[in-house]
Amino acid sequence: MLHLFKYRFMQTMRDFSVMFWALAFPLILGTLFYLSFGSLGIESTGDSSWDTVKVAVIRDGSSSENHKAFEKFLEQMDGEILDIQDISDESKALDALTDEKILGIFYVKETPSLTVSKNGIHESILTSVLETYNRNAAIFREIAMTHPDRLPDAAAAMEDYRQTTAEVSLGGKSMNPNSQYFFALVAYACLSGAFLGVKSSFDSQANLTALGARRSITPTHKLKLILVDLMVLCMIHFVNILVLCLYVTHVLGISLGDNPGALLLVDLMGSMIGICLGIAIGSIARLSFGMKMGFTVLFTLFPGFLAGLMFGNTKNIIEQNCPVINRINPAAVLSDAFYCMGVYYDMERFTRCLVILAFMSILLLGIAFLSIRRERYDSI
Amino acid sequence: MASNDFICIENLVKRYHDLVALDHLNLSIQEGEVFGLLGPNGSGKTTAINCLLALLKYDKGSISIFGQEMHPDSYDIKKDIGVVMQNVAVFEQMSVRENIDYFCGLYIRDKAARRRLVDEAIEFTGLEDFTKMRPKKLSGGLLRRLNIACGIVHKPRLIIMDEPTVAVDPQSRNKILEGILELNRQGSTIIYTSHYMEEVEQICSRIAIIDHGRVLATGTTEELKQMIKTGDSITIEGILLSPEILAAIRGLPHVFDLTYEEQVLKIRLGTAKHNLVRVLNFLQEHDITFGRVFSELPTLNDVFLEITGKELRD
Repeated sequence: MLHLFKYRFMQTMRDFSVMFWALAFPLILGTLFYLSFGSLGIESTGDSSWDTVKVAVIRDGSSSENHKAFEKFLEQMDGEILDIQDISDESKALDALTDEKILGIFYVKETPSLTVSKNGIHESILTSVLETYNRNAAIFREIAMTHPDRLPDAAAAMEDYRQTTAEVSLGGKSMNPNSQYFFALVAYACLSGAFLGVKSSFDSQANLTALGARRSITPTHKLKLILVDLMVLCMIHFVNILVLCLYVTHVLGISLGDNPGALLLVDLMGSMIGICLGIAIGSIARLSFGMKMGFTVLFTLFPGFLAGLMFGNTKNIIEQNCPVINRINPAAVLSDAFYCMGVYYDMERFTRCLVILAFMSILLLGIAFLSIRRERYDSI
Repeated sequence: MASNDFICIENLVKRYHDLVALDHLNLSIQEGEVFGLLGPNGSGKTTAINCLLALLKYDKGSISIFGQEMHPDSYDIKKDIGVVMQNVAVFEQMSVRENIDYFCGLYIRDKAARRRLVDEAIEFTGLEDFTKMRPKKLSGGLLRRLNIACGIVHKPRLIIMDEPTVAVDPQSRNKILEGILELNRQGSTIIYTSHYMEEVEQICSRIAIIDHGRVLATGTTEELKQMIKTGDSITIEGILLSPEILAAIRGLPHVFDLTYEEQVLKIRLGTAKHNLVRVLNFLQEHDITFGRVFSELPTLNDVFLEITGKELRD
C-alpha cells in the first residue's frame, strides 16, 4: 500500500499539466480577481470604504406621516449607504437612470416604491433599503393597532436606523462585497481537483490507456488502486487548496474567517469532493476520453458559475428562486460553508454543508467503484 | 469449465457490431511452449489476447488459464501472468527504475524480493545505464525494453507479448528475441504475437496462423511447411528463354508454378529431393546460360500464401 502511495504521489506531483489546473490556475484567477476589483473595498475585511449608491428621491407633494417617515429614513441613509442626488423632477430622474448616472429612484408616496434599471449588487442594496423600511413600517402599524400606548417608545427606539441595524453580521464581521467572489474561487479550486481525479482514473481503464490495461491485469484489486489514488490525490489537493487559502488571506488580504480549524475542515471536504467528482467522471466507461475531459470542465466551471464565480449575485438569485440547486451544487455548498465560517458564524448550517459534501463524496466514489468493478470492455 | 491445458480457448466469438473479430477461435497452449500467434494486422491477434486477459467482453466461448476459468477478478491467475503490451505502458513522470519498481510492486509485496527482481529485470533488458532516465529521453528500442522489463519483472509463469518489437531497430530486436528465449529457458511459457514471420519462425516452438479471427493452421514450423506443397523456390537471374523451353521446364517433375519476367525465372516446386540439381541439369543439357541462382526453402509466408491466397503482409 505504501509502495503504491509513494509512487502515485511522485507521479502526480511531477505531472505539471495536471498540477497547473489544480494549483496554478486558481492562484492566477485569484490574482486577476484582485487586480480587477481594484479598490472596491477589497482591502477591507472589516469596515470597508464602501462607495455609496447614487439615487434620486421623487416626492408626490403630500405631507402625510407615512411620507415624512420614509423621507426621514432616506435622509438617514444619505451619505452612509445612499448618495441622494439633487433631482426632483421624475422625467429627469428617469433620464439619469437610463444614462446610469443614478442606479435607482425612490418614490416617496403612500406606498413607497423603488425603480431600478438592472440587476446587480447595488440594486440589491437599494431593494434591501426599501424592504427594511417596509418591515419597520409594518412593525409600527402592528404596534399602533395592538399597543398604541407603547408607540412613542417604539418610535424612539427606531428613530435612528443605525441604532437598530448596526453594520455587522451575525458573526460580528462586516461583509466585503467582493469576498463572495473569493469564496466562489476557493470552491471552484476545490472542484478543479476533478482534473486530478479524472486523469488518475484514465490510468485504471484498459479501454482508454495502455497504462490502464497494464494496471487492470495485475493482481492488485481495483478498489485498492482507487482508494490509493483517492488518498494521494486528496492529500495533494488539500495542500493545493491550503496554498490558495494562504495566498488569498496573506497575500491578497481577503479574510476567509478566523477559525483555522473550520477552514481546514472545509478545505479537506472540498478537496475530497473535487477528487471524487473527477474519479466518478473518469470511471464511466461508456464515455470517450474527450467527453470525459469535456464533462470535467463543465462540472467544475458551471457549478463555479452558479456559486457566483463570474457574477457575484448568481448564488443569491438562485437561493431566492430555486434554493435546491444551491443545496446540490457542491461549489455553492462550499461557498456557503465559507459564509457560515467567515461571516455568519452559523455552525449548524456549517455542519450541514460538510455533511452534504461528505454524502456527495461517498455517492460519487460509489458510482466510480460500481462502474469499474469487474469491468470488461466492449472494445479497446 | 476446466482443462488440463496450460491455456485453453474454445469457440471464442467476438463481434464489433457487424464485424466478426474472432470467429470460433480455438487454441490450446502447453506449459513451456513459446507459442506464436502469426497473422496480418487486423487478423484478431490482439483481440484474442485482450479476451484472454479478461479485458474485453466476448460474445461466446470459454477461456481457461492454468486450468481455471478466467474472469476480471481472477487475481490468483493474474499474479502469475506478465504482459508486454503492443503500446508502451509506462509512467512518463517516473524514471526507468521507478517504473519497473512500481509495476513490480503491483505483484510483489516484499521489499527485498522486489529490489532483487528489479535489479534482475534491469540487467536482463540491458537498461543498467539508463535507470535514472525518464521514458521520453529513451530511444524507441530502449523504451520497448523498458516496456518488457515492466511486464516480466515479477517472473511470471505465463508471459504474453503482443508485438513487442514494433518500430524497434534490428539490434534491439535481436536483444529482445534473445531475451524471450532466455525467459522461456528460465521456465516461463510465452505467447508471442507478431506479423513478422521471421521472428515467429526464429523463436516459437509452435505457431498458430490466424486470419479473420480464425485459426487457419497450428503446428511447429516444420509441420506447417509440410502442410503445403511448396518444397523449394528457385530463382534464376539473367536467363533468356524461349516459350518452348519454358514449357519444357514447366513439365519437369514437381514443378507446379513458374513465372518469367525481365530475364528472371522463378520456379516453385513440390517437396522432393534434388529439385535444384534437376533444374540446373536441364539448363545445361539445353545449353542455356544464366546468371545468379537462388534456392529457398518454404517460409511461413509461403504457408500463409498457400492457405489464404494472399501475402502475410498484404
